[in-house]
Amino acid sequence: MDFEWTDQRDKGTGSEQDREFERELKQAMERRPAPPNLKRRIMQKRSARRTEQHHTSKIWWQRLAASLLVGAVVAGGFGWRQMEERRRGEEAKQQVLTALRITNQVLNNMNRKLAEHDRSDNGK
Amino acid sequence: MAQRWQPDFLQLVDEHQSMVFSLAWRMTGDRGLAEEVAQDVFLELDRHMERLESPEHALNWLRRVAVSRSTDSLRRRRVRGVDLWVEIDEKHGSPAEERQSPLETRLEQLLSTLPEAQRAALVLRYQEDMTPEEIAASMDAPLATVKSNLHRGLKLLRAKATTHLKEYVRGL
Repeated sequence: MDFEWTDQRDKGTGSEQDREFERELKQAMERRPAPPNLKRRIMQKRSARRTEQHHTSKIWWQRLAASLLVGAVVAGGFGWRQMEERRRGEEAKQQVLTALRITNQVLNNMNRKLAEHDRSDNGK
Repeated sequence: MAQRWQPDFLQLVDEHQSMVFSLAWRMTGDRGLAEEVAQDVFLELDRHMERLESPEHALNWLRRVAVSRSTDSLRRRRVRGVDLWVEIDEKHGSPAEERQSPLETRLEQLLSTLPEAQRAALVLRYQEDMTPEEIAASMDAPLATVKSNLHRGLKLLRAKATTHLKEYVRGL
């Protein structure tokens, strides 16, 4: 069995039956017309897909914006908390320094009074 | 500098819808499935438009994708457990094929029973009138494989035709 499609050198070597069969096959396999509504359906699906793509990309942008906003709020909150802690620390430090200054002043006063007392005792 | 080819989607659909639909129908043996495949192929073409370089490239791309999507859809159907051949038997008797001769209809039916690779080679050869070299280039397959598929496919189809269509092939 030899068919027309084979190499050029083989052409014509196939039997008449083979060639007849190939002719039948070619006839049977002519292109069929596409359904009349195929093009319309393709265009509808294409348009629906583009709308969906647009919608999807819009949703992604919205999600990105929302994520950035949440990130900014969280970062802001964290920064504010750190600042607040630092302020409180500074306040506590100032309070301790004030207390130390007061203690120092009290001790100085006591020392001065003791020294005066000692001097008055020696004078007697 | 040569100007780049600007494909027009609508024009491509107009020009090739019959080719894509016919390929899909002959590969799947099912008109409804072929319509779905043709729609998917053109939607994929829409996504692929900027990579098309020439009208020939578009034509070959459409042929290759139509064959491959048809094969995929047949496999998906088999996985879902649909008895395709029973459906084909029912569908080939539909009025849409009345314009064909009974022999042509039977030949198409027999074609549907061939292995996918052989069927694809025969459809591209006899529907699209492509040479084995063109089929090999288009399907990105070795020439020897294409020739072997064509030869085996024709032999098998001929054998089936001789068995099933004795009343028609007596004169061949």
